[in-house]
This record gives sequence, C-alpha cells and structure tokens, in this order.
Amino acid sequence: MKLYAQHGFGDGDKTSIGLAENLIQGVVFGAKDVSPEKLQEKLNQANEIAPGAARLLDPQFYVSLLGGGTNLRLGNLEEYPYFRPYRRSQLELNERVNEVLANTIDFQASLPLTGIIAPNILISRSFDSAEAVIAKNFIRATGSHKKSEDRRPVYATLAVSREALLEKSQLQEFLADITLLDNPPDGFYLIVGASSSEARTEIFHADVIAGWLLLTYSLKVNGFEVINGYSDRLSPFLGAVGGDAGCSGWFNTLRTFSLDRFGPAAGGGRLPVQRYLSNRLLNRITYIELNSLRPFLPELLNGLSHDTDFIDVEEPPRTREVFQSWEALKAQSARTTGGDLIANLANCDAAIAQAQDAYARISAARFPLDTKSGNDHLEDLSEGIKLFRQLAEI
Amino acid sequence: MQVAAPTVDQLRSKLPTITDAIPLKQGGFKAVYRATIGGHVEALKLVHVPKTSDDEAGELFRKECLGRVTREIQVLADCKSPLLVKLGSIRAAEMDFGGERFIVYSEEFLDGPDLRTLIKQAWKPDETELKLLFVCLLKAIQQLWTLPARLVHRDIKPDNVVRVGKQDRPFVLLDLGIAFAVLETSLTVDPRHRLPPGTLPYLAPEMLQPNFRDTIDYRSDLYAAALTVYECAAGHHPMAKKPEDMITTLSRVLRESPPSLNSVRADLSKPFCQLIDSMLKKIPALRPANLTMLIRQLEQTE
Repeated sequence: MKLYAQHGFGDGDKTSIGLAENLIQGVVFGAKDVSPEKLQEKLNQANEIAPGAARLLDPQFYVSLLGGGTNLRLGNLEEYPYFRPYRRSQLELNERVNEVLANTIDFQASLPLTGIIAPNILISRSFDSAEAVIAKNFIRATGSHKKSEDRRPVYATLAVSREALLEKSQLQEFLADITLLDNPPDGFYLIVGASSSEARTEIFHADVIAGWLLLTYSLKVNGFEVINGYSDRLSPFLGAVGGDAGCSGWFNTLRTFSLDRFGPAAGGGRLPVQRYLSNRLLNRITYIELNSLRPFLPELLNGLSHDTDFIDVEEPPRTREVFQSWEALKAQSARTTGGDLIANLANCDAAIAQAQDAYARISAARFPLDTKSGNDHLEDLSEGIKLFRQLAEI
Repeated sequence: MQVAAPTVDQLRSKLPTITDAIPLKQGGFKAVYRATIGGHVEALKLVHVPKTSDDEAGELFRKECLGRVTREIQVLADCKSPLLVKLGSIRAAEMDFGGERFIVYSEEFLDGPDLRTLIKQAWKPDETELKLLFVCLLKAIQQLWTLPARLVHRDIKPDNVVRVGKQDRPFVLLDLGIAFAVLETSLTVDPRHRLPPGTLPYLAPEMLQPNFRDTIDYRSDLYAAALTVYECAAGHHPMAKKPEDMITTLSRVLRESPPSLNSVRADLSKPFCQLIDSMLKKIPALRPANLTMLIRQLEQTE
C-alpha cells in the first residue's frame, strides 16, 4: 500500500521532503490551499523530485453545497474554474452533473497530474437520501468523461459521512449499485467525514471502521483502485483489506475529514503539542510522554530514522512532526499489507494485541496519559475488524 | 410435464419433416426430443401453453407462458456466442396435440453429457478444466448481460450446462426459459404470491428477498455459476444435504457460508478456490463482478 500526503495549508517544503525521502509515494493536493498557479509549480516540482510518485488534486467540489454561507473558508477554491456554489436541487439534474464533471475533469486534464479525481458531493447523513442519488449520478457518469487519448486513471470521489456508514443494509444496497457500472471509473477516492476534525472518536468507532473497511474491500474485489483520503492511522488497516493508498497530512484537519474545515472559523486556539506516532500503541502520544515512558518501554519507539527528531531534544521541531508520522504509517502498512486478506487481518489483530499489551504495562506503571494518548481506539479497532469479518463473510 | 407429452407418432403427424424422434426429458411445461430435421439432428422442444381461461388470472398466466417462450426464442436468436445454445431450424409455431396447445421450436442438438450426468458418474475435473468451465459460464453471462434487454439467466446449474468438448465451445449453457430481462417489463404474473422462478438450491441469496426484481443483476448468475463449478469440483452441492428438506437448505443459503472449496479439493490452487468462494458471498457487491478482468485472469492462468 502506498501512502500519500494529504496536502493542505502550511505545506512549505513538507511534501517535497516527504517525496525526496520516499516517506510518501504521492501527494493529493487540496484545491483550497493552493492557487491554480502555485499548483502547477508544485506539480512540476514534485515530478522533478519523484517522477514515479502520484500527483493528484482533490477538487473539493463537495464544498459547493455549503452554498452562499457567510464567512466560509474557501481559500483558493473560488479561483478554480470548475468551482461555484450550488444548491442541491440544481445537482439533481443529470445535465448539471455532467457539466460539473466535464469542467472539473477538463481542468485537471491540462495539468501534469498522474491521475484525475472527479468531483462529487458529500453524502452527509444517509445512503437513502437525495444526496446519495446525486452522488451515485456523479459516480455513474464519471467514467464517460474519461478521454480516450488520455491514459491517466480517473477516480470517482465517494465522500460519505460516518453516519451514513452506520446503516449497514443501506450501505450494502449502495455498494451493489456503485460496483456495477456500465462505464466504470478506474478507481475511487474514498473519504469518510466526521462532524469536526477534532472528533476522532467519531471515526474510531467500530461500526464506522467496519463500514469503511467494507467499502474499501468491496471496491477492490470489483477491480477498482482505492485511494483512501484522510485515512491517517486507519491507512494500514484499510490497506490490509485492499486499499491501494492511504493519505495523511500535518494537521488534524488533514488527518480526519470534515466539512467543518471549510465553514466559519470557530475561533483561535493554542498550537497542539507535538506528538509521536508509536506503531506499538497504534496512536500518537506527546513527545513528553514518549520521553518519560521510553526508559521502561523502549518498544514505544518505532526504530526508524525520524525517531531522532523526538529523542533527547528539548522540543521536537513542529515542521518535522509529519515526517515521523509518515515514516511510521509506511512501516505499519508494510506490516499489515502484502499478504492475502486472511494473513493481513491476522497481522492487524496481532498489532492490536501488542498495543493492548503495551497500554496494560503503561497502566500498571500508573503513568497518566493525556486523553488523546489513551487506549480508547483499540477496542473500536478490534471490534471494527471483527464486524468487518462478519459483514464481508470472512 | 403437467399434461401428457405428445407421442412420437403425434409429432410426426404434425411435423412430417422430422425423423428419428426420441423423447429425451420432460418436466414443468416442457418436453424435449432428439429428432432429425431436414437431415440435421436437433433438439425439438415443446412448451405447453395453458388453455384460454375465462378468469383473468388464468388468462394472465397463459400470457406469461407465451411471453417466456417468445423471449427465450428471441434471446437465442440474438445471442451470437458459441457458449450459448443456438436455435434450430424450427422457429416457434403453435400446434395442438391431443387437445392441448404447445409451442414448438428447435435448438441445435448438443452432442455431449450435461454436467449433472458427469457428476453422477463421479467426474473429477482438474483445475484446468474447472477454470475452462468457469470461463465459459462467465462469457455466457457476459453475453446475456450485454444484450439490450440486460438478461440474467436465473437457472444456471449442472443440468443446464453441456460438455461439448470442442475448442470454441468446451461447455455450452442451455435453457433461457426463465431468464429475467432487467430492462423489459416483467413477465411474472402476481409475483408477490410466488416463489422466485429457478431451481431453489441454486438461487443466489438475494433472489430469496421479496424485492429481488428491483435489484437483480448478473451477479446472481455469478453465484449460480460458482456453485456449479463448486459442485463439479466437489461432487456435491455445498449447501444442499440429502435428505434434508428445502427450507433447511434455503435457510443455509441465506445464513451460512459454504465450506471453502479448498477444504474439499485440497489439490486445487488457493487463488482459484478463493475466487469461487468469493463468488458465493451473500452480498452481491462482495462478488468480483468485473467480467472482463476475471476472464482475462482465468485465461492467463489456465
């Protein structure tokens, strides 16, 4: 499984370094946070650094339904020729769907991208909704906009809220529809949204994890390439069931998808403390916790080169935090992918069991962990995989 | 057959061009004969048409029977694949035999055993032959689905597949009598009060749902095709157990996963067994359905 940078505000040279060090094998640029001119420059630069890496653009069309709300944070999105606000009723017309697809795909076709991500809206509540019908129409029509002379893959976007994944029979019906298309796209850019980027427990929920795994697995067995956007710590698990790529970025907003990020700002806040992604814990802990715990739990360190950014330093440089995360995700993915499904899932189970053991030892030492550093995610991961096995009849 | 099938003498009286007619099988509304027609051996088929009825339900049922035969003949005429049986020289004609109405038509006579006969003879095909069988069925399913009406065969089973053994048609799929046309008006009268047509142990789980006509697609045929391959490989149906009643079997079809093919044929490769197993999943979206890709993969590994 490949790991792509989920690009957003404050890139600087993060994606360039990530590509140069082969920590990531591609970048999904976010239209909001890069102007069309700058994007061209970034794409050329990425091509020079890593010619074999994936260069994609998330057109972020799903923001268009936020409409003419006030104080929206659209960044550079309005500079893109395909973007404009829509009302849902306008997108109920197939001709409008085709117009949006043509505009968005034509724009991307002119760029040095390695693949094209088609636009779509977010299914915000349920697969049994008008939004889901519109989303299916986008998916159905995506393949027909693929240009015969352009060999680059075209990916349909499937953006769903975590709530939609909770109703399993509707999910199965939706899957039945999108896996049998007359003119299918080459793959899917799949994103699962929470109510806010800080609401990590909304995604780390057994039913949501199982639904996301099932979506990935079903699309893969039907021959589609699957890129999981904003998948961050779930990437190795999604890779285990067939995901071809996962994405993660440097801020929480680039690790958990939420339309909240495009809405009015909720006010400022402190900079978060730097966190180390420990593969043993399947979680990020603060650098302070890491340095306190590692004398008696040395296995919390991943044993990878970017560990040095966190060890024996007064404060890890913020700009380098993401390199450690990418490196850890890449290593974890190597552990959970590459075998057949049964073997991969067994490796996932083993990783969770090891994490449970490590947390038990931390607990036995009566070491207090920050809320986000705790083990809440493990039960949901374990249950999610168990539920996935049932749903996928494995 | 619910009425007596015409005798060979009765056939000859109405169809003087046929010779050497031999009854082959009969059941439901259909009787099949092997006959020489214009110098060629063909399969002569007679489908019973219920009499005109005064009550509305009877008349609708009669129209359904007529509609099914007409569709089957039309589909056979439209299909160009050598992996589906071809029409013979007699194109649908209505005839009376002993006071009963029949539609008479002919198909080519396929010279080979059907898979049910082979299974009874303890046939144990190797992986190459099983892959070949599966590819033939996938191509036949693909041909039906790509017709304008989008057809689902709905009755793929060992009885309806003949091993012809020729290079261009190793296995041939028969009997489109209950094919479902997704893009045409349903022929079934009063579907709410009838079991889905087909052979129950070969029905895909979704076919047992009340709304299956709204959602059915060729993945139901993939399920039945995989079941057929499994049965040929294992020598037995993976979910029907004699002398168990049908309800128990259907309950198992809906709720239980069959044992992996690899557990009954350890000599077969793991990827092939996994492919067949995955086609037997209850949820259609979990069955690999990219036919072009599947066929290519199977042909590359034959």
